[in-house]
Amino acid sequence: MGSYLIRRLLRTLLVMLGISLVVFVFVRSIPGDPAVAMLGERATPEAAAALREQLGLNKPWFFNPANPLDAQYPKYMGALLQGDLGSGLKSNIPVWDDLRARFPATAELSIAALLFALLIGMPAGVLAALRRNSVWDNLATTISLVGVSMPVFWLGLLLSYFFAVKLGWLPPSGRLGTDYDIQPITGFYILDALLRGQTAAAWDALRHLILPAIALGSIPLAIIARITRSSMLDVLGQDYVRTARAKGLAFRSVTMKHALRNALLPVVTVIGLQAGALLGGAVLTETIFSWPGIGSWVYEAISQRDYPIIQGGVIFAALVVSLANLIVDLSYAALDPRIQYS
Amino acid sequence: MKKLLLTALLSTLSGASAATLVFGGNGEPVSLESGNITDGISILVQRQIYDTLVDFKNGTTDLMPGLATKWTPNANNTSWTFTLRKGVRFHDGTPFNADAVVFNLGRWWDKAHPYGFRDQGRTFEIMGELLGGYKGDATAVIKNIVKVNDSTVRVDLNKPSSVLPNVLAAGYFGIASPTAIKKEGAKYGTPASKPIGTGPFIFQSWRTGDRVTLLPNKVYWGEKAKVDQLVIRSIKDASQRLNELKAGTIDFANDLTPDSLKSVQADKNLVAVKRPSFNVGFVALNNRNQYLKNDKVRQAISMAINKKEIVDAFWNGLGVSNASFLPPVMSWANSPKVPADYKFDPQAAKRMLAEAGYPNGFTIDLWYMPVSRPYFPTPKPIAEAIAADLSAIGIKVNLKTQDWAKYLEERNKEPGFDMYMIGWTGDYGDPDNFYGAYYGSNASDDINWNPANVQTLLEQGRAAATQAAKAKVYQQLHEITYNANYRIPMVHSNPLAAARTYVKGWIPSPLGSEAFNTISITGKK
Repeated sequence: MGSYLIRRLLRTLLVMLGISLVVFVFVRSIPGDPAVAMLGERATPEAAAALREQLGLNKPWFFNPANPLDAQYPKYMGALLQGDLGSGLKSNIPVWDDLRARFPATAELSIAALLFALLIGMPAGVLAALRRNSVWDNLATTISLVGVSMPVFWLGLLLSYFFAVKLGWLPPSGRLGTDYDIQPITGFYILDALLRGQTAAAWDALRHLILPAIALGSIPLAIIARITRSSMLDVLGQDYVRTARAKGLAFRSVTMKHALRNALLPVVTVIGLQAGALLGGAVLTETIFSWPGIGSWVYEAISQRDYPIIQGGVIFAALVVSLANLIVDLSYAALDPRIQYS
Repeated sequence: MKKLLLTALLSTLSGASAATLVFGGNGEPVSLESGNITDGISILVQRQIYDTLVDFKNGTTDLMPGLATKWTPNANNTSWTFTLRKGVRFHDGTPFNADAVVFNLGRWWDKAHPYGFRDQGRTFEIMGELLGGYKGDATAVIKNIVKVNDSTVRVDLNKPSSVLPNVLAAGYFGIASPTAIKKEGAKYGTPASKPIGTGPFIFQSWRTGDRVTLLPNKVYWGEKAKVDQLVIRSIKDASQRLNELKAGTIDFANDLTPDSLKSVQADKNLVAVKRPSFNVGFVALNNRNQYLKNDKVRQAISMAINKKEIVDAFWNGLGVSNASFLPPVMSWANSPKVPADYKFDPQAAKRMLAEAGYPNGFTIDLWYMPVSRPYFPTPKPIAEAIAADLSAIGIKVNLKTQDWAKYLEERNKEPGFDMYMIGWTGDYGDPDNFYGAYYGSNASDDINWNPANVQTLLEQGRAAATQAAKAKVYQQLHEITYNANYRIPMVHSNPLAAARTYVKGWIPSPLGSEAFNTISITGKK
């Protein structure tokens, strides 16, 4: 187990190095250069050239014959290996500072979205499988189809308009009302507010979390419901389930203990895959809901061609997805004793 | 537990009792360091914290005293002397004086300034752009910055300029505390630092991606703020800003889309606020194109576009058509000898096209921008309307677009775009800021038309001492550019803003940002 973990972590490190190279080349291959994007309508060729020079973007990518170390990639990697992701081209804010400030927001939202997806999606899938071809089954299937097909930004605006503007139940966007301020400890607002004893602020933060979590969770919910349903159906047809029933075990015990646990494996796999999808979905959800996370930040950086931010954001996201998948793999062993890592 | 509840209760109460004014900004500031940033929301937040040497009268582009009480040129406009306000202190207690001004101007202008942090990525490009370059550059307007005494600073110029005070009044050039910059070093202006100015509000905190919180400056030298706290929230999406306004979670906001005007007017809790127009949206015609080289073709195109109808359809009454390149507040610089704009006349356009040798028309590309800008809120349908008008006289238009950064780059590369949509929002109220930006020697090379007499007139305009002298020069420029007809002005738009009805005293500046110290709130629930 220990050596497996070490091997996996080493592999993750290699993947990260590969990704740093790919993203470095990739962002510089997007047409349009950062100097022009920053100057906007003011971008004359002279002004853009001067700015490019000042930002060091006129240097060769990989190798400068005059001075081998004075190229963009060696410099970037040199700093990266020391843990320095560079600073935003225009803002001068260290990328790491921004990541640190924004990641908890994205994590809080993603966890809430995943919880929402699991708490509704799994029971819906189980119910649909147990009552196959019933009204419940059809309802669950239809809802999951709608959930997968609905554009997140549209759903987000709709939710915000209906529940915030029309009904006034929840705030339209943002992470915390302007009446409150929470001094960060972990960066998770609800947790921090509770730790600091600000229950009203915690409640307010929770209210802000609901709509974006629903918007972001809608697609994972639909996918989880479908996978749970088909996996449950599969397991319910297995011999051991029939045996358990024949032994006279209670229905509840058969479905929950014997069937569901075995049906969970594919669901857990999907959750792992969804970690990446959640980060992707966060781009739209965060933009719509003015959620101060990583998604909206990287999105903005892409339109501004802010290379250090895009690079840092992508590398960090890749790390999160790799680690999520590692956790998923490890949890297989917990769910299914037949799986062992050595 | 009791203690917990009590704290919670207290925090709720303190939150509710303070008069907090909440603004919905269209994003997060890039930086709060003045002189180094040009995006709207950064300038707007900076405007609350910093004062400029010269200021603009509320709601206009006219100059009034700021941190300088007086500014006088020498006889030929090659040197300006600024008399500074006495007794003003920065938020950190540092006295405001000539040293502070020399320090601020110096770090923007002098590439070798020890506190310019250029080696750490600072660029201060707006200084170079509006004043021709930096210390030692052949094209730079400023020759030297001199402290005369504690409350007098003189700026010597390489060439005459009557617009220096206007330039320094632009929101980019807020005067910051030298002590703070020296203390914070290169991290000055980021969320990890504390920006210090002399302005009506004091920086309190900046929550990354979320909001900036400011407190009133109780010892402000000018009109003191009327609220207990000002929060500027970052709400990128325009429809979400409208949702927040309607829900009452923000008090006022900028940059709503023109099509939300009806929705704002229908809400009894909201007031629509039209920002005075200070921009121009236009179609540029490229002289490198074989058809567009022909004067008559360009005229035919100008006459074929029904600007009034397009502006009515896409701006919802929030725009002026039939105007020159200059926004309405500068109409004094327009020539009475030529009309503001070519009159819509498709028949005449058709005849003109035939005279040019193209009775059956031709095919041409029209590029529209992929992003919404104040002067073109919905570029694609506007481009479609232009294409429809041109097809009526036989010109077949291929509509094209591409990514914004690429769009801005391509227009300046040969051969550029045949026809493309672009625009400009002004920094200060002088025609040079418009004509210079698009016809000057440093302007973009998008139309391949750069006659010497235009350059001479632009120089004369910058040197002219009085408004009458200026008007004479710019009227000639208006005639020349009208006749040449390479840039067809489509609209001067009024960006739409809105406020809850209890927000009183908001006077939006045509320049896009103003200090919020004039605003009071009464009866906010």
